Amino acid sequence: MLILLIIGLLEPPSYVRAYDRPNDGGGAIVIEWESVSDTLLKGYEIFRRKVGEEEFRKVAYVARGRNSFVNSIGIKDGVKYEYAVRSVGIDGSYSDLSIPAPPVVSYPQWFKKNKINTLLAIAIYFFLLVYFTQAAKGRELFIRRIAGLDHLEEAVGRATEMGKPILYVPGLSGLSDIATIASINILSPVAKKAAEYDTPIIVPNRDPIVTMVAQEVVKEAYTEAGRPDAFKRENVFFLSDSQFAYAAGVDGIMVRERPATNLFIGMFYAESLILAETGNMTGAIQIAGTDAVAQLPFFITACDYTIMGEELYAASAYLSRDPKLVGSIKAQDWGKAILMGLAFIGSILSLLNIDVVLKMFATI
Amino acid sequence: MRRTFPLVIAFTMGLLMMIQYFIPHPISQKFYKIMVQQWLIIISIFFYVFAWRSFGLYHINKIKRRKEGWWASVVAFVGVFFMLLAGFGDRIPGGIGHFIYKYFNFDDLYNYMFAPLQATMFSLLAFFIASAAFRAFKARTMEATLLLVTATIVMLGRVPLGASMWKGLPKVVEWILMYPNMAAQRGIMIGVGLGMIATSMKIILGIERSYLGGE
Amino acid sequence: MHISTNPWVWIAAILTLAIYSFLYKDNPFYKFAEHLFMGLSIGYGAVVLWYNSIIPRLWNPLAHGTSPSRFYLLIPIAIGLLSFGIFSKKYSWLIKYPLAFSVGAYAGFSIPVTFEASIFEQISGTILTKQMMATPWLAISNLIMFVGVITTITYFYFSKHHKGLLGKSARTGIVFLMLAFGASFGYTVMARISLLIGRMQFLLHDWLGIIK
Repeated sequence: MLILLIIGLLEPPSYVRAYDRPNDGGGAIVIEWESVSDTLLKGYEIFRRKVGEEEFRKVAYVARGRNSFVNSIGIKDGVKYEYAVRSVGIDGSYSDLSIPAPPVVSYPQWFKKNKINTLLAIAIYFFLLVYFTQAAKGRELFIRRIAGLDHLEEAVGRATEMGKPILYVPGLSGLSDIATIASINILSPVAKKAAEYDTPIIVPNRDPIVTMVAQEVVKEAYTEAGRPDAFKRENVFFLSDSQFAYAAGVDGIMVRERPATNLFIGMFYAESLILAETGNMTGAIQIAGTDAVAQLPFFITACDYTIMGEELYAASAYLSRDPKLVGSIKAQDWGKAILMGLAFIGSILSLLNIDVVLKMFATI
Repeated sequence: MRRTFPLVIAFTMGLLMMIQYFIPHPISQKFYKIMVQQWLIIISIFFYVFAWRSFGLYHINKIKRRKEGWWASVVAFVGVFFMLLAGFGDRIPGGIGHFIYKYFNFDDLYNYMFAPLQATMFSLLAFFIASAAFRAFKARTMEATLLLVTATIVMLGRVPLGASMWKGLPKVVEWILMYPNMAAQRGIMIGVGLGMIATSMKIILGIERSYLGGE
Repeated sequence: MHISTNPWVWIAAILTLAIYSFLYKDNPFYKFAEHLFMGLSIGYGAVVLWYNSIIPRLWNPLAHGTSPSRFYLLIPIAIGLLSFGIFSKKYSWLIKYPLAFSVGAYAGFSIPVTFEASIFEQISGTILTKQMMATPWLAISNLIMFVGVITTITYFYFSKHHKGLLGKSARTGIVFLMLAFGASFGYTVMARISLLIGRMQFLLHDWLGIIK
């Protein structure tokens, strides 16, 4: 008390300003102020009033150390508000209210300016993709060997020689996972080969939509192979939508139908090893393909070949050699080259205290 | 109409869903909410009819043809029946509903049948992870050895036994996870990301259309 | 020893053992448990779908709702109904509409999200900064990380022969990949064993009452 009397009362914060929160859907105002340096300071109270109102009402309290606040409760877009802040002492005393900030209006924005880098990246990548898919027409482009995909045909052949079916597991996710789409792209040529060789292909499914798509794709493959009558709808079926019931069912199929070839391609979760180990014990040749990083180690140890990560997305181009699809691989490689270059340049610049590249990759 | 129009729909929906990400305006937020929380879910509901039919046909087929072990397909139908009875039957007014609630209680069925089956299937991984490790042990390639050695170090570093063997082990494991492991994870993610985006763009452009099935 | 007298516990225990019997070899007990499991899961899925999706998202708004916007729900219903085209040979092409609608939407949605999560955040985490070089040890570690990221990316380079510098880099990438796979393998082991311990506890404690 004595000290207070000697040095006077708490100072109110100075330079209070308020502005509409940028890049949002409205309904929020940011208030900032210069902090007060006083050992007796406990925090700040923020006050608000509509322009034209007499009285300020308290809307929030923040502890010392912070000097900004986002007010998002009770804000109406298009209404003018004034804000003022006062200091609170540890003894419960208050300063006067600060000079109010100039009136502010909150409103929704039509574009997130902070996401301009994402939009730009999409535009560049889109351009690369379109350019290379067009440029690739009529040209033979090189793709490096992808062991897992090279052996697909051999795996189908082996099942044929042994007179046993092929098991194709299209992953446990739905079409919202792009990996599932990649799997469907591989299912199509595999089913076609199976049809040509007259080897049954069993496709158990976990997702209803994938079941339907898989049926259509396999049916189409049989038609393309000129054997539409050999297509058996009951071989492409919905097994269960529960992860481990599905795993139990696929295990059952593996030990009873004894497929000579197991293909696990798409999105997988913890059940990956249950499937792959059981298949391994039955002596089937196994090829797995997934972009689920956490499951790759298990597929690598339990399968003969594993299509890893991005290789899965190169598959449809690799197998079909369709110039349009191969062109997309070229675009992917350009994307990688650009990113690696930026990582190099960004590191050198950032070590020289220039963070321009680092800022390009900001995601806030 | 059959071929082109679906591609137009995919193009339009893809573009709209992408653009909404950049628009903070409430109209765009509402569009996103309606699509993701309502429409896409509602559409997917209808596919279950097909899926259940497919499940049914698969098992009926086995029963009809008296395929070896066809009795198991009967068991599958019994399972479906039990769950449906427990899930909906207790709504039946009067004694029947009460009987079902008492003897076919949904929670009991879940807790003592469904959940233990699930947990036990999941726990098979303990055995399979051991047999997989053994397999890696037998493989004599450089890659398999590297995988196994790292796996052993990391496994030991995370149990008290490891730390009692060598105090520094947990620190080494932490370093492996933070740096070389993280490096490869990042490398994979970047590649996968580019592949996924390219595939998504090809879907929107109609280059990738095998998911639509045949003609 | 206090063997459980609860018949439900007995059922759970028998089903647990039936699944484990698969480790020896396929047998009728496993087959029984497996098919029961699949059946239960379908029934369970249907009940959950009914109470968690159909009732709150369709029935309640349409039957009891008052907002005029509820009639917009008829659009996804109509799109969804097109999937029934599969049941007819003549109209099976109708399924392309709901498929194109959903897949297009998911594809478009995933593009910006993937760019940020899988690419921007990973690259910005890789770019070396002064803080990452603060101590010699930190500097070495982060340099290793940088080399690891770059070489792993080069492994996935498809349109060039993996020869010369690219080949060396890709081979280094494989070393990092195997290290990471080993790490995640080793990291998972304990979690999997604890699942087994959980089941053993159920059998020995809840069922047989051998252990406390």
